[in-house]
Amino acid sequence: MGHRLVSAILISLLSLGTLLLPAAPAQAVNCMLTAIVWEGYTDPAFTDDFEAQTGCRIKATYAGSSDEMFAKFRAGGGRNYDLISASGDITERLYRAGLVRSIETERLTNYDEVFSPFQGGKWNTFDGQPYGVTFAWGPNVLIYSTDAVSPEPDSWNVLFDPAYEGQVTIPDNPMTIADAALWLGKTDPYGLSEADLAQVKEKLLELRPQIRKFWTTAGELANLFQSGEVVVAHAWPITEKQLTEADFPAESVSPPGKLTGWTDSWMISQKARNVDAAYQWIDFILSGAGQKGVIEATGYSGATELGTEAVGPERAKELFMDDLSLHSKINMWQSVKNYDRWVEVWNEIRS
Amino acid sequence: MTAISPPTARRPPVGLYATLLPPLLWMGLLYFVPLALLIVYSFWRLDSFEIVQEFSLDNFQTIFASAAYRRVLVRTGMTALGVTLIDAAIAIPLALAITRYGGRWRSLLTLLIILPLWSSYLVRVFAWKIILGYNGVINSALVGLGILQEPSSAFLYNSFSTMLTFVHVWLPFMVLPVITAFERHPPELLEASADLNAPPWGTFRRVTLPLVLPGVLAGSINVFALTLGDFITPGLGGGPQGIMLGNLIASQFGVSYNWPLGAAFALLVMVVVCSGLAVMLRLIRTF
Repeated sequence: MGHRLVSAILISLLSLGTLLLPAAPAQAVNCMLTAIVWEGYTDPAFTDDFEAQTGCRIKATYAGSSDEMFAKFRAGGGRNYDLISASGDITERLYRAGLVRSIETERLTNYDEVFSPFQGGKWNTFDGQPYGVTFAWGPNVLIYSTDAVSPEPDSWNVLFDPAYEGQVTIPDNPMTIADAALWLGKTDPYGLSEADLAQVKEKLLELRPQIRKFWTTAGELANLFQSGEVVVAHAWPITEKQLTEADFPAESVSPPGKLTGWTDSWMISQKARNVDAAYQWIDFILSGAGQKGVIEATGYSGATELGTEAVGPERAKELFMDDLSLHSKINMWQSVKNYDRWVEVWNEIRS
Repeated sequence: MTAISPPTARRPPVGLYATLLPPLLWMGLLYFVPLALLIVYSFWRLDSFEIVQEFSLDNFQTIFASAAYRRVLVRTGMTALGVTLIDAAIAIPLALAITRYGGRWRSLLTLLIILPLWSSYLVRVFAWKIILGYNGVINSALVGLGILQEPSSAFLYNSFSTMLTFVHVWLPFMVLPVITAFERHPPELLEASADLNAPPWGTFRRVTLPLVLPGVLAGSINVFALTLGDFITPGLGGGPQGIMLGNLIASQFGVSYNWPLGAAFALLVMVVVCSGLAVMLRLIRTF
């Protein structure tokens, strides 16, 4: 009896194996790009177009923070991923670790369409060589449930409002320290001294009783709103997009003068297996279809003239793609000198 | 004596070595080599995002010098201990009932205990989020019955929800060895004890308990070790201040790229589990 059961299980497993076997080579005919990205940058809404154009599929891993992106990208010596959508705080770290290769801009037909301030930006160019191609940017915003929060908040102080005790969420990311520094009125949120860090720690500990949960991925955050656990969040604009699509009443606010944000660039791994396909991908994201796809999936601002054309002048104005006036007002994530200390302070706040 | 032993024993046991080789290779490559790597890594250190391959005790100093890390260590130990005790308290009467009064339903009841293990661990943790959440089952029921005016957020994202989830998901690992222990427990001993005028509690304390204790200890090792290294439950259902050792290890490897510190934490977990195991084995032998 027992033998029969075991052999039955073995036979079914073996037949399952043979079912799977022929499927594998069929996929290998096409190329498979691998990437570690922020959620929304490989939305099927537009990656299907890319696949149809090039025959290449893109397999993406979502990261919840720049540190996670760096750690995962580096874990395999850079062999695990062809592409990384690096924010300005880790581009230099990736370059210094020798994990990314310089970009041969002549291989990108759409490179000249990138807004000129973004070509040769200090976050994507090292030793005079471009190492990243900037394609999207945006601010970190305040997102709130319109049912539960009134009146409409206009500053980050709402996070500290006792009315929302235990209903607030902020990212589980040491870069949040820069936001707290801005709330305290520091002018250079990325160049904090020990004394500044102590103040920031105090401020964030004051926020602790307000916090229901630290969020780690955009998907988790949307879920926290929908299940009623939180009503106000420090978040990325993509969450407003996701909640609106799910018919959840939420809006975002960008308190002026107190904004951090990110400028994201595609970088290609030094040990990429599919370099040609990686260039094709970057070119596609710079094109009108790619830019429109990213903008519509995430609500972030694009970075090329083709993108401006594709979304139309009105939408481009809303996203500040016409004059980039918002871009200069955001304190963009950048390399932090004493980042080790930031991580320590953050861990102390977390535990 | 030699005449009695079978002749095969004197031949060189080629067959034995041949059968042992695959599992030995398997264990060696997939268990001992990674373990050695882990120990080596724990004595290296990270310096400005580079792993420095020199012997140092920096990681262990970092762990013991930081009040925050010490708090996490204590919290993890206490949680694991608490979960183990609660599971044991549930498992002993449960196993007793199943083996003594289960009758012909005994196999079915045992199967029901194992049944949850057939679903994914993640699903079970998520189920608790749905039960305990702000718009969850408990809150809906309490508000519907008029006991609460509005949903309470006191059930989820705190140490209570972490404990409850742990107690539930690891319970089968405690119940099974205890059932086995009760099954091996000869009922004649109970009768003998009764014949000698022992009251029921005295019989339980002086006859039953010593006999099933090895099963309880085996289950305790399971539950304690599983809780100590877990990071999913405190991550999904735990509170903002409820992180445990497993979360620290996961974030050192997956977020901070501080593999040496992560390895040091992992080594610490292993030392704690191994010493717990040693104490348990000593205890079992004394009975």
